[in-house]
Parts: sequence; structure tokens; C-alpha cells
Amino acid sequence: MSARYGMVIDLDRCTGCGSCMMACAAENNVPPLQQATVRTGLTPMLVRKVSNGLEGAARREAFIPIMCMHCEHDTPCVKVCPQQAVEVDKATGIVMQMPQRCLGCRYCMTACPYHARYFNWWDPSWPAGMEKSLNPGVAVRMRGVVEKCNLCHARLHEAKEKAAATGKREIDPADYVPACVEACPTGAIRFGNLADRNDPASQDARSPEAFRLLARIGTEPKVYYKSKEAWVRALAESKSGHGPETGSEVQHG
Amino acid sequence: MFPGIDGFHWTIGHVVFLSLFFAVVATIFATVVSAAWRTARDFRTNQAVELCWKSSFAELPESDRRCRHELAGRVISRTCDNAFDCRRCSKYSQFAVLPARAPVHSLGLNYSGDRFYHRGHTWVKPAEDGTFTVGLDELADRLVGNPDSIEMPEVGTELEVNQTAWCMKKNGNEIQVRAPIDGAVIGVGGSKQGWYLKIRPRLSSSDPLTLRHLLRGPEVQGWLTREMERLQLQLRSPNTPPALADGGVLMPGLMDALPEADWDTVLADTFLGA
Amino acid sequence: MASAVFSDSRWIARGEERTSLSRFLFWLAPWAIVLVVGIYAAGLCLYYGLNQTNMDNRFAFGLWIFLDLGIIALGAGAFFTGFLVYILKRSELRPILNTAVVVGFICYSGAVAILMIDVGQPLRAWFTFWHPNTHSMLTEVTFCISCYLLVLCLEYVPILLRSRQLRKLPSLLVFEHQLHKLVPVLAGVGTLLSFFHQGSLGGLYGVLRGRPFAFRTGFFIWPSTFFLFILSAIASGPSFLMLVAATVEKVTGRRFVPQELFRRLGFISGVLLALYVAGKSIDTLIWLNFTSPSEGFAPWQYYSHKPFGTPILFAEIVLFGLLPAFLLTYRRSAARRGWLLSAAALACAGVLLNRFVLTVQTLAVPTLAFDEFLQYTPSWQEVASFAGVIAYGVIVYSLSYRYLPLFAPSRGENTHVSGD
Repeated sequence: MSARYGMVIDLDRCTGCGSCMMACAAENNVPPLQQATVRTGLTPMLVRKVSNGLEGAARREAFIPIMCMHCEHDTPCVKVCPQQAVEVDKATGIVMQMPQRCLGCRYCMTACPYHARYFNWWDPSWPAGMEKSLNPGVAVRMRGVVEKCNLCHARLHEAKEKAAATGKREIDPADYVPACVEACPTGAIRFGNLADRNDPASQDARSPEAFRLLARIGTEPKVYYKSKEAWVRALAESKSGHGPETGSEVQHG
Repeated sequence: MFPGIDGFHWTIGHVVFLSLFFAVVATIFATVVSAAWRTARDFRTNQAVELCWKSSFAELPESDRRCRHELAGRVISRTCDNAFDCRRCSKYSQFAVLPARAPVHSLGLNYSGDRFYHRGHTWVKPAEDGTFTVGLDELADRLVGNPDSIEMPEVGTELEVNQTAWCMKKNGNEIQVRAPIDGAVIGVGGSKQGWYLKIRPRLSSSDPLTLRHLLRGPEVQGWLTREMERLQLQLRSPNTPPALADGGVLMPGLMDALPEADWDTVLADTFLGA
Repeated sequence: MASAVFSDSRWIARGEERTSLSRFLFWLAPWAIVLVVGIYAAGLCLYYGLNQTNMDNRFAFGLWIFLDLGIIALGAGAFFTGFLVYILKRSELRPILNTAVVVGFICYSGAVAILMIDVGQPLRAWFTFWHPNTHSMLTEVTFCISCYLLVLCLEYVPILLRSRQLRKLPSLLVFEHQLHKLVPVLAGVGTLLSFFHQGSLGGLYGVLRGRPFAFRTGFFIWPSTFFLFILSAIASGPSFLMLVAATVEKVTGRRFVPQELFRRLGFISGVLLALYVAGKSIDTLIWLNFTSPSEGFAPWQYYSHKPFGTPILFAEIVLFGLLPAFLLTYRRSAARRGWLLSAAALACAGVLLNRFVLTVQTLAVPTLAFDEFLQYTPSWQEVASFAGVIAYGVIVYSLSYRYLPLFAPSRGENTHVSGD
């Protein structure tokens, strides 16, 4: 049976520390672009700061980590890529990006409802000596191609190799843990196989406090969010006047 | 696209899309190849000259494309739509039988009655032995005067009607004189001899198609009047308004007498040039 | 003809008058400078990467995509005039046909040039042909525009071959004759291709579920923007041709196009524009009341960001749509050249505004609840490349006007050259 890997992120636990962003950058060989801004930077995992728009004692703030939602249905980026450089992996449900085939037309970036795709505006470069910290399991991308979160697919490979080495057919779930999940100090990010009803992540996704962003668009994202706060859950849909007045501040990194 | 690409599979969408695309590409390709093939075929079957002439004919101003029957007064107005090829004109049979040859003296020009005239200002005189002599008519002769150089074809050259028969150069202008009839060159003359070519026609000299397209008799009168009108308008000095002189004689050696005129256009319209 | 030390009169068609070579070069010089600066800016982008532009991850499409869509919409006059003349046999439009082909060639070659700089990896452009995604509108656009540019080049070739020096070569002259006989086939192919790619350019935005501002439902796999883009393109194409012809007449100080032809083009443009306005109004109502709310987006959200309020919608449909449609078709205004050309300009502006709204404004409007309305200003490299394309167009057209028989009047026009 094929897996459907997804995530459930508990927003009540997220402190906005940004460890997930750092771990993601380290794992995926993201270059330290000094010239990048918040809108041109490469952040496959990006933590956004939101508030309920009120001031003073009534003000509440939270953090929402945004990454590729790995949309299951009518995946927008897959549909629009002219070169088929993106596809939904049938075995895992991961939306795979092929940088070698990407033309850099950025149509997928326009199509993504969650703005979770990032373009390599510069050639990647590392200060002298820093190249020793590169992860050998992940290819570096050249400039002019699009990239995004791929649920640390390299780690899935390692898990499969490890299982094959010991003669097993299935991977040990403990072996496949994406970098952000591993790095999160509060355990806010939970990762698992959403198709498996016994998987804890799957159970979390079906809890009443769970929601998905822009669910009404119908892309069936596999990244869920969870919060007991009603104002946070109201952020799921657009500012269409339902629920309390919400504002936002983009985290300036 | 092709089998062997990882993860690719054919769907009905692929079949429809790609067949439409390849149909379009094939059509475009076929169009270019067809044009190129037809061009090669035209050269092989000796139709290229005729096509080049027709293309040049189409570039002439409408005033230079009057049907001979209009020039002769048989119709009020008609533009030739067949590149002066009266031999194959479908309208030809609707009009009267062509007149006999007759001399024309008009506007100081002497057009003898023993010859036929091509719209490109050459004359054709039949000889008793079935060959033809070709020369430059009076108007062209007075226009050009003494050419600086002449390039004649070699004896034995096959000429098509309206093909360039010989070239003259004068004052930096190149004049390509069109052949009035089909045939082989059997004798070459020059500006001094009073004739330029002797030609054995492809069809027999008694075949009416050989000379049907050439002007004769009263047609020449109407034609010359038009040509003189055109020359007067084209050769007048730029600051004078157009005036049509009635009377006066075309003086010889006009190209030397009026060097500042737009000879390029005048010569092109006179000799039906390219 | 003024005698000059160096004259290009042997390249100019016989019997045609053109200004002196020095004056012509004087006219070309500023455009050439703009073109050179544009090439330099494009070179910077190719060498250093797209960080030379002000596009970013939120504004992935910017000035260049707006230019591409706009220029292709305005260049629709090429295929549409060819369709009217060769397929529908409206021969009264012949005088403008050569200009339409040159304008089309300029527009499409310029668009393709900009696209080559706009993508991150231009050398991979052939990937689309090797791994086509038949679900993607952009694949369709790529295929069609490539083929259509080829068709336009082939339609331009006969005009080139009729130039004074080239027609002296018999092989080229005969080839031109044979190719010209097959131009109706090319016109038909061009019409088919244009129908699809003009529509697919609209479909590019209409299919984006993630951008409810642009998302539309429609017919089968094609959103309504597919059909609306075709309509607006064929409505503005003739108007743009009118503007080009009028500009040429103004600059050269001569008249080439009979006033009746202007009126005819204007009338065609006006009728199509009226149809477009009707279609667009219905589509907008459906979108505002059904499509957008069903995605969870109430319409007032889009128009609450200054300065992109409802005046833009009003401008698009009424000021630049209904008004020029009326002026172009109403007898009294269409009879006056000034009104006619102003209306044509409004029509072209309307199409450009529509393309702008669907590209730039779509990206500016927030989707996620915690997003803001975004700003974007193009960098000088983007503007310079844009200007370079316009300069390229002016230069190509100027050269074509000077040396090629674009407006050949009575010469040869009505002759049916009977051949094989």
C-alpha cells in the first residue's frame, strides 16, 4: 500500500524559534545568500508571524511554519509545469521537483496557492571552508531553477537503503524523519503517513482542532495545522469577513 | 515524449495534442518544400523566365499595362491581365481581327510598316527565309543615343519572349532589352548596323502565334501617343507643372541631354524592366 | 532624388520616394541607442541571473510577462487580417496586409526574445518540446508560438524577396511567386495556431485555483479567459494596425491607406470589442457572484487595496471597452479620423490594462489570510529590455518601410497573374 506522507503542526506549541528553518537550510544545502531579502530568499521552510489584529492586552500572536503542502488533488504546480518537472510521487504522495528539468519559467510559483516555491535568483555560493558543511546526500541547485520542500526525500532514500541492507521490505518509520521535525525543540511538527489510520500524525490530522490552509480551493494539502485558538483556525480561509479581524506581520529574517 | 523517458505514459490528451502539433508542423514544412520543389520544376521546364516576366509585369504601374485593344481604340479602357501575352489571352477572340501592318509617322517618329513592334520598344522584321531581324525602335533609339557598352548574346543562344535579349549600359544605367519573340540567335549586330539580332523562330514564321502579341499598324499610333505622354511627364524638370506639348519632335540622345532626370524609372517603364 | 556622396537609392523600390539616407539614419539613431541599452540590460540578466530584475518569489512574473501578453495581443492583427483577406476573401484590406505581417513578425519575435531572458535557464527551452505536459496551458503556448513565429517568418519572406535587389535573382523571384501562391495555406495555419495560443495565454491565469482573483470556470478544460483573450486580441489587433498605419503616415508625411480602410478596420475592431465587453461583463458577474465566493473569496477583498480599486474594473470594461466600441462603430464618430484613432488607442489601452490586471494585479492580491497586498516596481534592466524591444520594432519596421514594398499602391495590386 502506498504511503501518504504529511505533517501536522501544532501552532500552540510553535515558539517561532526558527530551528526548523535552520535545519531545513542545512539539510538541503541552501546557500547563505547575503544579498537576499525576505522576498528573494530561499526558504523551503518559512515561519510566518501572525496576530489577531487587536492591540494592547487583547493582542494575540502566533507563528505559522509554511512549507510545500504536498497537495494531493489537482496539484496546481504539477498541472501547470510545461516540462513536467514536478510530479506527485505515487508511492509516497510527496510532490517531487526535478531541478535538472526545470526551465525556470516560474509558472508553478504563480500557481502555488501557498507561495511555497522559491526561485534561485543567484548562483549558489558558500564562503570558503563552509562547503565542508554541505550535505552529500542532497544535490545543489544551479541558479534559474525553482525549488521547494520535498519532505527531505534524501532521508527517505537513506531509510530505504538501511532497510534493504538488513533485508527488510518496509522502512522503519523512526529512520525517516525530516530535518525540521527533528530540529523542532517543542515537537510542534509531527510527521507521518496520513494514509495509515494508526499513525499518530494521521490521528492528529483528524482531530477537531486541525485545519488546512485555503481548504476551500480544493487542493487537498497534506500539511495540517492544529490549534485550540479559534482566531488561529480562522486564518485557514481568506480575509472574507468571517471570524475575528485578523492581521499579519511577515517575519523579517 | 518518447517511450523510455522515466514515468511517461501516453494519454488521449497526448495523442490529440501531439498529432495536432505534428500536423501543423508537417503542413508548414510541406508548404516550404512544395514552393521549393515547384521552383526547381519551373527552372527545369523552362517556365522560370515566364514567371519572372509575369512578376516584373505585375510591378509595372497600371498606366503601363494598357491592353493593346485600348491603345487601338477598340475598347474604352482595359488593363492587360495576361502580361501582354496575346497568344494565350482568353479575351482575344472577342475582339476584331488584328489589323494589317502599316507605317506610322507620328510625333516625329518613323515607324515603318514592314515590321511589328514589341511593347518593350523593339521591332521585329520578317525576312523571306523565315528568320526575323530584331532592332531597337526609334523612340528607344533617341532615348538612349549611343550606348556606352553593349552586351550581346552569343550565336546559338535560345531566347524566350520577354527574356533579356541584350544589355546596354549608358551613363551608369543598365538597360535590359526584352526579346520580342521566341527563337535561337543566328546573327548578332549592334547599334551601328541598325539591327541587333537575327533570330530563327521556335515556331514557324507562318504560325500566327509567333507574332500575335506584337503591335502593328494603327495600334502603334495609340501606343506611341501614350508613351510620349508618359515621357513628357517623367522627363519634365521637377519644378514645372505637367504640360502636354502637342507638336515638337523627340530629339536624339535624350539621356545625354537630360542627365538629371530619373532615368532609372524612365528606362524601367520604357523597357518593361525588372 | 538628391544626389548624395553615399546613396542607397539602388535598394529603394523603383518609383518610390524615400527621405535621404542621412535623415533616415538620424531617425534611426535614438532607437538604435535604446536598442543597444536594452541589449546590454538583457545581457546583464543573462550573465548575472534574474537577480538583476526586481522580480521575487511573490512577484514571479513582472513587467516582462505583461509585455509578452500585451505585445502578442496587439500583434493579433497579423493573423486576423490574413484570415480576413485570404480565407474570408475581404480583399479591401489588402493594402494593410504587408504592414500586418511585419507588425506581427516584430511582435512575436520581440516576445520570444523577452521570454528567452525571462526564464531562468534559456538553454533548456527545448525541454518543453521533449517533455510536454498536455495539461499545462504554457506547453500549448510554447508550441503554438514557436510554430506561429515560423509561419510569420515564412509570410515575411515573400515581402523580402520582392525588394529591389533581391528580385533580380531569378531563382528567388520564382520562389517568391510559388511561396506567395501558398500563402493562403500559411494564413489558415496561422489562424488555427493563433486561435489556440491567444486563448491559452488567457487560460494561463484562468486555471490558477490558487489565485481566485484570476480563476475562472468555463467550457470543458478551457476557462472563460481562454475565449475572452481571443476576443480581446482580435478586437485590438485591427486597432493597433490602424495606429501603426497612422503613425507611419504622420512620420513620413504621406498617405498610404485610404480613409475607407481605416473606417473598415475600426468597424471590425468596434464590433468585436462590443462582443468582448458583453462577454467580459457576463464573465465578471459570474466570477463575482459564484466562482470567487465558492473558493472562499468575497469580491470586495480584491478591490479594497488602493490604488487598485473598482475604478480599474470600470476602466477596463467601460472606459477602454464600451466607449471605444461605440466610437468605432457609430457612424458620426467613425467618419472623423481623429475620433477613430483615439478610439483605437483606447481599445489598445484596454487590452493592455486587461493583461496587466491578470498578470501583475493577480500576483499583488493576497490569498492567504495573513498576506498583504504586495508592491512591485520593475528594475531599470527590465524597463530597458522592454524599451529595447519597442526600439527593435521601430527599427525593423522603418527598414521594411524604406526598402520593401509594404504599401505598394496600384503597382501590381489588382493583377491576377495567371500562372500554372
